[in-house]
Amino acid sequence: MISLPIASPFVVLVLATLAVALGLRRTAVLFWLLAAALMVYSFAGHVTDPLKIAL
Amino acid sequence: MAALARILNALALLGICGVMLYAFYWQIVRGELPCPLCLLQRAALLAAGLGFLLNVRFGASESHYGIVIVSALVGAVFATRQILLHIVPGTGAYGSAVAGYHLYTWALVAFMVLIAFAGVMLFIEAQFVEGVRDFRPTVGAQALGWLFVLVVLGNAVSTLLECGFGPCPDNPTGYELLQK
Repeated sequence: MISLPIASPFVVLVLATLAVALGLRRTAVLFWLLAAALMVYSFAGHVTDPLKIAL
Repeated sequence: MAALARILNALALLGICGVMLYAFYWQIVRGELPCPLCLLQRAALLAAGLGFLLNVRFGASESHYGIVIVSALVGAVFATRQILLHIVPGTGAYGSAVAGYHLYTWALVAFMVLIAFAGVMLFIEAQFVEGVRDFRPTVGAQALGWLFVLVVLGNAVSTLLECGFGPCPDNPTGYELLQK
């Protein structure tokens, strides 16, 4: 997996909030979707070991 | 009822800003830097806040509440992962406890509250009558919106300084970009 900077979702969220400020609602929603995808991708890159939970 | 919904959305957005500023307090004043999972939970909370911001700025929409719910679900997964990493006695914990629970546990509570809140708000049908539109929010709503923008920007800058452009350490001790 390519490692993306973990700041990438935050940067995209900044763009989303600026889109809201500019009145670009659909653009903001698209940026949110991208941020969510980046979050999930970053999370997948960090889940490298199985959880050992005592039952 | 529509006016009540607008106020509740603004309060929810203010609440998220407050939580993020509290997180900054722990980071900057107490020196407890967020780990990668912590950062992802912050991002999810901000993503949920975007849903409320959209409601405040454009008027309420079911899709905006959908943004809140999906973001909170994603954040809940991140928080649950972090809880499970430390749930076995002796495996330690990350960060200090607040009122007996660590911040990632409180994060899960917050995400669950957000999901429940959005679900309840969807019952207020009067708020959807006017539909989404580009209108000029009140001065208070504008100020709140810009506060949220600043909080998101602050998190982006802080995360970049802490982790740089490469992988973030699991137990960060300093700001990567400031140490170079």
